[in-house]
Amino acid sequence: MLAFVAFSLKRAWQGFWRNSLMSLAATASMVLMLVLLSGLVILLSGLDATLKYVESEVEVVAYLKDSATAQDVNVLTADLKSMPQVITITYISKEQALKNFQQRQPDVAALVDALPSNPLPASFEMGLRDPSDYIDVATFLRGQSAVDSVQDIKQTVNQMLTVINVLRTGGIAVLGIVGLTVLFIIVNTIRLAVVARAGEIEVMRLVGASDAFIRWPFIFEGALVGLFGALITIGLLLLVQAPLTSLMADFFNVLPVQASAIVGQNVALIVIATGVGIGVLGSYLSIRSYLTR
Amino acid sequence: MPGQPPIDRRQPVGAGSVTGTTTEAIPALVLRGVTKTYPNGKSALREVNLTVPAGDFVFLVGPSGAGKSTLIRLVIREELATRGKVLLEGRDLARLNHREVPKIRRRIGTVFQDFKLLPNKSVRDNVAFALEVTGTSGSRIKPAVERVLRVVGLSAQADQRPSELSGGEQQRTAIARALVHDPHLFIADEPTGNLDPLISWEIIQLLLRINEMGVTVLMATHNAEVVTALRKRVVALEDGRVVRDETGAAYHRED
Ligand SMILES: Nc1ncnc2c1ncn2[C@@H]1O[C@H](COP(=O)(O)OP(=O)(O)OP(=O)(O)O)[C@@H](O)[C@H]1O
Ligand SMILES: [Mg+2]
Repeated sequence: MLAFVAFSLKRAWQGFWRNSLMSLAATASMVLMLVLLSGLVILLSGLDATLKYVESEVEVVAYLKDSATAQDVNVLTADLKSMPQVITITYISKEQALKNFQQRQPDVAALVDALPSNPLPASFEMGLRDPSDYIDVATFLRGQSAVDSVQDIKQTVNQMLTVINVLRTGGIAVLGIVGLTVLFIIVNTIRLAVVARAGEIEVMRLVGASDAFIRWPFIFEGALVGLFGALITIGLLLLVQAPLTSLMADFFNVLPVQASAIVGQNVALIVIATGVGIGVLGSYLSIRSYLTR
Repeated sequence: MPGQPPIDRRQPVGAGSVTGTTTEAIPALVLRGVTKTYPNGKSALREVNLTVPAGDFVFLVGPSGAGKSTLIRLVIREELATRGKVLLEGRDLARLNHREVPKIRRRIGTVFQDFKLLPNKSVRDNVAFALEVTGTSGSRIKPAVERVLRVVGLSAQADQRPSELSGGEQQRTAIARALVHDPHLFIADEPTGNLDPLISWEIIQLLLRINEMGVTVLMATHNAEVVTALRKRVVALEDGRVVRDETGAAYHRED
């Protein structure tokens, strides 16, 4: 068993470098696909996380200016309570907003701590009697001097849903095409490897090598392409992680995309599993059509 | 062959120990009414009957195209008989399942007519390859390879590639590779491009020694001088039929 694994790995390694140009081309195409895949996964999971946060009962959010006083807040609360269209009111102070944010995004918490002042605004979150009441409530709020901006959460959610759906459908379609191309390249790479070893395969059969000894080195060679591709992809992601996180931290009150998802364990696992999976599938298909007797 | 001495496989040549089973009772090889017709319609063997007891030494002779290599291909199950049975140590090769074929082949050491040496591997690596691809552990490969290289007298050329060897040395490399598994049956398909007579004698001496160790030997050859001198069993094929099967015989019919 040990001899088998050692033999297969050695042969796979030799095979990979024997036609290094082809193997590296296959690895590069693998990297391209995995970068696309991880980009899509990161974006979609970030958007999903954001969506969960805004998908609460809250329908309208009014962000207050930093200049708003406690007096302004009290007056506004009273005014809103008197409006029949408004059913629930929650006041979120600047401190509370920061605390909430840090809870949701523990990974960027440290970054936020480093900021000179709290960039998050105080806000009122309101639930409405009926969505059509939005116009009335928003008009009222925009007339208040303490209010900076008003956001219709339902509308934002709908827009985000559209974006997510387009991204998901488009991304999966593109990934499917790229994935098939990568598979095709791997099938051909392994086929060339098999042809290069035709003489050895004949001798192996004649001296009584079992099928496993003939096939598994090629499976491992395909897996090696996938593994290399995955490791390079993860390396690239780690490289862009820092700049991307700080970029997102700048925009975090616009779109709180979960920066931690960039090279979270899940993404790394997905990348490795997909890379190795496609590599193995490609070589399996290749030798199945070539080595059957 | 009355009073045949018991077979003694005293010294294993290569790696792996010889299993303690006694195979004397079961012939090493039996062909029963074997016909081989290639897909193109060419009948290379017709109704061949042949029994080779374990420990026997058999010369397979006959003109070019008589079917010698075809017979060998059937024995190692590279091809299946169109009709009839091929039994190797009592096992019907046509009934072997897919997984048993490699195991059967490890009991046979074959020297192919075209040697089938790997051009980019050294003599040592060519021989080691046969053990490596059949799952022998690394620590057992090296001593086994060195031992068979000594047996065939190629220790000095171990690092050379086949292209850097003489024809006889290439053949001895192929013999070493065939021996390294400790086969029960040793088959040599002699190359038609004849070797130097002196070298042929060396190789014959080697095969005799292998046979003395208890290995059954089947050798296809055109070398009339060697066959006649040794007076072993001779099976002659002509146009796919066994036309003669004599022990202690010469290359040509002696009437
Ligand atoms: N794969 C094949 N397909 C069709 N015909 C074949 C095939 N292999 C061999 N033959 C034919 O079968 C006959 C026997 O061939 P074989 O190779 O067994 O002869 P041989 O006795 O080994 O000859 P030589 O002494 O020249 O090696 C020949 O007529 C040959 O043309
Ligand atoms: Mg022949």
